[in-house]
Amino acid sequence: MNTAANRTTRRRAAVAVVAVMAVVAVFVIRLVSIQIVQADTLNAESFDKLSAETTSYGLRGDIVDEDGTVLATTVLRYDVTASPKSVTDFERTGDDGKTVDVTALQAAGEIAAVIGQTPEQVYGTLTADPSSNHVVVVTGIDVDAFRAIRDLEIPWLYYESNPVRTYPNGAVAGSVVGFMGEDPDADPGATETGDSAGTEDEVGLSGIEQMQNQCLTGTDGVETYERGADGVAIPGSSETVVKAQQGGTAVLTLDSDLQWFSQQALLARIQETGAAWGTVVVQEVKTGKLLAVADYPSVDPNDIDATPADQRGSIAFQSPFEPGSTFKALTAASVLDAGLANVGTQVEAPFIYTDPNGASTRDSEFHVDPLRLTFAGVMQESSNTGTAMLGELLSSQQRYDYIEKFHMTKPSEVGFPAESGGILAPWDEWDDQTNLTTTFGQGVSNTAIQIASLYQTLGNGGVRLPVQLLDGCKAEDGTMTQVPDATGEQIVPSTVSTDVVNMLETVVSGGYASKELSIPGYRVAAKTGTAQMSDGSGAYGDSYITSVAGLAPAEDPQYVVSVTIAKPVTIESALAAAPVFQKIMSQVLKEKRVLPSTVPSPDLPTTY
Amino acid sequence: MTNLASASMSRPRAAFAQAVAVEPDFDLDLPGVEHPIAPRRIQVVPTRQQRRARPKIAYAAVVVTGVLAIVVTQLMLSIGLSDGAYEISSLQQQQKELDRTNQTLSEQYDSLSSPQNLAASAEALGMVANSAPVYLRLSDGAVLGSPVAASGATGAITAGQSLIPNASLNPVTGTAATPADAAAAAAAGAAADAAATADTASAPPVAEAPADVPWTGALPSPTTR
Repeated sequence: MNTAANRTTRRRAAVAVVAVMAVVAVFVIRLVSIQIVQADTLNAESFDKLSAETTSYGLRGDIVDEDGTVLATTVLRYDVTASPKSVTDFERTGDDGKTVDVTALQAAGEIAAVIGQTPEQVYGTLTADPSSNHVVVVTGIDVDAFRAIRDLEIPWLYYESNPVRTYPNGAVAGSVVGFMGEDPDADPGATETGDSAGTEDEVGLSGIEQMQNQCLTGTDGVETYERGADGVAIPGSSETVVKAQQGGTAVLTLDSDLQWFSQQALLARIQETGAAWGTVVVQEVKTGKLLAVADYPSVDPNDIDATPADQRGSIAFQSPFEPGSTFKALTAASVLDAGLANVGTQVEAPFIYTDPNGASTRDSEFHVDPLRLTFAGVMQESSNTGTAMLGELLSSQQRYDYIEKFHMTKPSEVGFPAESGGILAPWDEWDDQTNLTTTFGQGVSNTAIQIASLYQTLGNGGVRLPVQLLDGCKAEDGTMTQVPDATGEQIVPSTVSTDVVNMLETVVSGGYASKELSIPGYRVAAKTGTAQMSDGSGAYGDSYITSVAGLAPAEDPQYVVSVTIAKPVTIESALAAAPVFQKIMSQVLKEKRVLPSTVPSPDLPTTY
Repeated sequence: MTNLASASMSRPRAAFAQAVAVEPDFDLDLPGVEHPIAPRRIQVVPTRQQRRARPKIAYAAVVVTGVLAIVVTQLMLSIGLSDGAYEISSLQQQQKELDRTNQTLSEQYDSLSSPQNLAASAEALGMVANSAPVYLRLSDGAVLGSPVAASGATGAITAGQSLIPNASLNPVTGTAATPADAAAAAAAGAAADAAATADTASAPPVAEAPADVPWTGALPSPTTR
């Protein structure tokens, strides 16, 4: 063989091998570079292009009443936006397969017809800034409007859904349920970066919405998946990054029908008497549950702006007032419990009574001769002088202790936002006049809830049950948390509470408001009150708070109704509140199927 | 010629056949060997090797078929999977739509079942509440309470005007609704209110009620329509 040819062949082979090696080396280097060195960056880049992310909403939970009627819920509303840059005429393919040219103006007209604007308005919005890439056409439309617009098949429209809070029962329990708004504590910069309006940036600002914000708040979930060119998920690629957690349901003790009835009856009477404000509390005696808490003024959480900012709270929980004569039940219970008097104790009640300290009070109606009343008669006549005389059998400290024992100096267990615990100075700071007037409910302020709770205690054999507004927070899986403690506390013996209830029954059977308070067939125990209102500068003005608090049926009390109407103009006595009490108590007894009384009334003697 | 040609052509086959018949272990692939035997009816008899070799083709067939089957199955699986993905996608879309419908209907239901709406509707129908309920105790047949006929005067709860507002009873039209729209809605509302008031005022429901429940015999029976 020729050595030269041999050498050439070998050289060729060497070159080929080197070339192949070089190519392989390049490939290997590239491979290492892509697969190892740049792997993370490239993966991330490709993931961005390939993957899609969806938010699964963890919606804010509902607020429901005792039987599940929805008082507050979260629904989705839609925003429609457009890109003005691409607002052009387009072709639409109809159901019959024919294509129709649609001009931008026509499209604007079609949108306008759905959202209730004029075509010019919509067209103006769309073309205001033709260089812009984003313009909001309409926000917060409901599903029907959204579907109508979507079905127009306009290519340059974009849609976005947002969770929105709605209150199907409107102002029913509005002041208790509360409303949502922007978090006042939130970092103002944070909302700038937030994508859109909606409940995400909002928190409960009042009522249950605020009280149970933590229970109600859901957590949005994030799900990522890889998608093909047509946007369909590639099987097996979806991954739940954050699991959506639906908000819990706040279950209230309220009865929405009764709540509405109370609000309606209260407001009708307020309008009739020209009163300024009022409140009604209905409580179940045997459980301490609140069935209705009606306030006027009250807010419709669907339309917060319709109510002035200072009238959006709950009067029953947040605004203490001097209760007046309804407070005498507490004085009576205290005196009876201390064993210093009994239901038949005889009092000569003068028109004006001046106590040893020099403080004085008088009855609301003039009488020349002292009234010869039993303790029950003092209640029936609502004699201030008689109550003061009996009340002062106890020392100031003893009376203060009883007031405290009846939970009249602290907020109830409900823990309502900004709930008041009433206003009462410690006994050693009482002046002589306060010392006297606290026996009949002046110089002391309480909330309507506290008054209802006082009567609940008296109706329940002296056992005070914690006031309940919330049954609990129901999680998605049905478990109830935050179930309130229902352990009662014996405040006075049942003999004392029964005596007080019997005395209060004489108010209904023979007092001045007997006709307005009686409910045919039922024994009712109630106490009226007409308290002078503070004029705000430490003195009493010439307006009154009229109230009635009572129990039925008296032989075995089941329900407390407490009605308060402030500053009535046409009637300035408890007769302003009495018809509301009667109406609501009748409704409660009817709705709860309480049987008429069959046990005769004890008919305590009131005079001697 | 034809015969000859066929004879000469069949010769190697004959030789092959004979060789096999005579010496099974003999290597067949010997082109130079000639066997001067006249052509006759012959039959191919496979050697043992051939017999052994034949299943190999079957194996190949099985393998190829298997591979094909796997490929086809995988293809089908893949088609099935992506079909499933599309189906899931379309079902999810369908679910979304149904959720929306569900939401609309629940919203409507909740608003319509609000006490304001129920009371207004009931009174528009001429219904009145009876404020004096009477109970029949089944154990002894005792009647508890004193029956009083419900009347429009005492039984009307709202007297034609619902005082407790409920903005959710008005359909949502979006935040960009025009004042004209609101005015129209208000007018419609007012008309409805007026109608309701007229109903309750002009028709004392107590007088009307018996007309719908005629006494037809021993027992009062409602006229079912």
